[in-house]
Amino acid sequence: MLRYVIRRLLLIIPTMFFVALITFTLAHAAPGSPFDKNANRTLPQETIDRLNRYYGIDQPIPIQFVDYLGNLIRGDLGLSLTRQRPVADIIGQGIGTTAQLGIGALVIALSFSIPLGIISALKQNTPIDYLSLLIATIGTTIPGFVTAIFLIYIFGVSLHLLPFVGWGSWQHMVMPMFVLALGPGAFLTQITRASMLEAIRQDYVRTARSKGLRERAVIVGHALKNALIPVATIVGPATAGLITGSFIIESLFNVPGMGRLYIISINARDYPMIMSTTLLYAFIIMIANITVDIVYGVLDPRIKVA
Amino acid sequence: MATAVTTQQRRAAELTVIARQQRSLWRDALHRLLRNRAAIVGMVVIAFFAFVAIFASVLAPYDPNGLNGGVKNQLLEPIWTKPFGGQYTNPAFLLGTDELSRDILSRLMYGARVSMIVGVVPVSVIFVIGASIGMVSGYLGGWVDNLLMRVTDVVYAFPDLLFVIIIVATLRNTDLGNLMDGLVLIFVALAVVNWVGLARLIRGQVMSLKHREFIEAARCIGVPPTRIMLKHLFPNVLAPVIVSLAFAIPGAMLTEATLSFLGIGVRPPTSTWGFEINEGFVVFSTTPWPVLLPALCISAILLSCTFVGNGLRDALDPRSKI
Repeated sequence: MLRYVIRRLLLIIPTMFFVALITFTLAHAAPGSPFDKNANRTLPQETIDRLNRYYGIDQPIPIQFVDYLGNLIRGDLGLSLTRQRPVADIIGQGIGTTAQLGIGALVIALSFSIPLGIISALKQNTPIDYLSLLIATIGTTIPGFVTAIFLIYIFGVSLHLLPFVGWGSWQHMVMPMFVLALGPGAFLTQITRASMLEAIRQDYVRTARSKGLRERAVIVGHALKNALIPVATIVGPATAGLITGSFIIESLFNVPGMGRLYIISINARDYPMIMSTTLLYAFIIMIANITVDIVYGVLDPRIKVA
Repeated sequence: MATAVTTQQRRAAELTVIARQQRSLWRDALHRLLRNRAAIVGMVVIAFFAFVAIFASVLAPYDPNGLNGGVKNQLLEPIWTKPFGGQYTNPAFLLGTDELSRDILSRLMYGARVSMIVGVVPVSVIFVIGASIGMVSGYLGGWVDNLLMRVTDVVYAFPDLLFVIIIVATLRNTDLGNLMDGLVLIFVALAVVNWVGLARLIRGQVMSLKHREFIEAARCIGVPPTRIMLKHLFPNVLAPVIVSLAFAIPGAMLTEATLSFLGIGVRPPTSTWGFEINEGFVVFSTTPWPVLLPALCISAILLSCTFVGNGLRDALDPRSKI
């Protein structure tokens, strides 16, 4: 087990290297420099040269890449090209908001999906089941920004109940969190339902019933415990869903988090920002996947991790 | 006497079973698919959008980029708002106009084109690349297989959309990014990111099939590997591949809509549903229609594709549970 964990953790290093290499190559392969953005106010060539020298982007790309990696290992993420501030500071400001949004969404997703999945499985082929299946299908199919538009129209524009620009009070948080929760939550509902349906047909559940346990004890104590194991494995992909969802939701609701920063820096070709945020996202997703695999092994002793 | 009759009857029944025309797996699957009501509705809606997309240039009442008379026809509302007190309607513009006084109906029709093309082209590319690499890697193993697994590790560490965004955003201003208003770059990005999943799926299937007797038998009589892969393995992995591709189509449409919504998709003024939402959002508080209508179109096409995908999955693999 320990060997497995160590091996998985060590595999992060080459994977991160390739993620960095691909992003770096792509970001620098694009023509133009970040300083020729404004076509009406072109900078004199001399100034551009000096800026390029200052930020080190006059060097050949392989040398820039090695320099970048060297700085990265020492914990220096570089300077943002558009904000003239260290990237670490900017990310530090945004990451709190994004974490708030993401964790809030995850809590909402878990708290509606698991009960809904269980009820749906216990009342299979009843109207409740069909309703929850319909909600789950809509949630997994319709993208967050489209759902967000319908919600903004109803609660923001028509009823004036909730603000839809900015961040801060709980009223600001409700809609973004809910929209972000919808996709992963709907997926979790489907998994919980399927896994619960399988669990309640197992022999040990029949045994528990036949020895006269109350229905509640059978469901909660025996079926649910086992049914939740596959659900745990979905938390990894769900994290990825929350991260990609946050770009769009933050841009749409003007939430000052990392996702919106990311889209802004991509449009501004701010290489150090793009690199750092991409690496951070990839790192979070890899850690989430590894954690899930380990937890899976612990929860279900039948799974042999090697 | 009574027993004799039953024996005869049983014999007759057995004979009917033998005489009945045999039905292939695919016929059975088609039968199951056609019984699925949601899938039928989905197919009808997709057919409708496909028809509109193909004949957009004939059906559209106006030029999708035409500024119809400027300010006086700006932000008209759809005609059905008139009975509810909508003051800014004009029967000449059924669904109203947007902030640049362009006809929304025409723009939606041309937008359907982009969605349909994005659903078909990249998915075909993914199929060709993913299927060939997956087959070779699963059947022959070796360095192809090792390379595939390492590539998969890297691609899986990127969230799909993140990878697509990086590719599209960085290569937007290259020659590749300018082809067909940026559509080609979106195709490339979708193919690069998504072939890996299909290759891995096929690899797994092939690995579990290649030690079965029918493959061994084929090898024994000297069938060359290419032929084994194409004639013996491929038909047997086709069912899960079809299901996976059926879900890749709405996935590709969704990615295009998202990119266009973020402003890094197909170049304006080409009309796409995602970019309509992006543009219309500025006037959303004034009039919601330039945003709501494309949002409805996106929802309808994605839901329809998912219904058909679900139908195909249930038809081709009745044992699957989710």
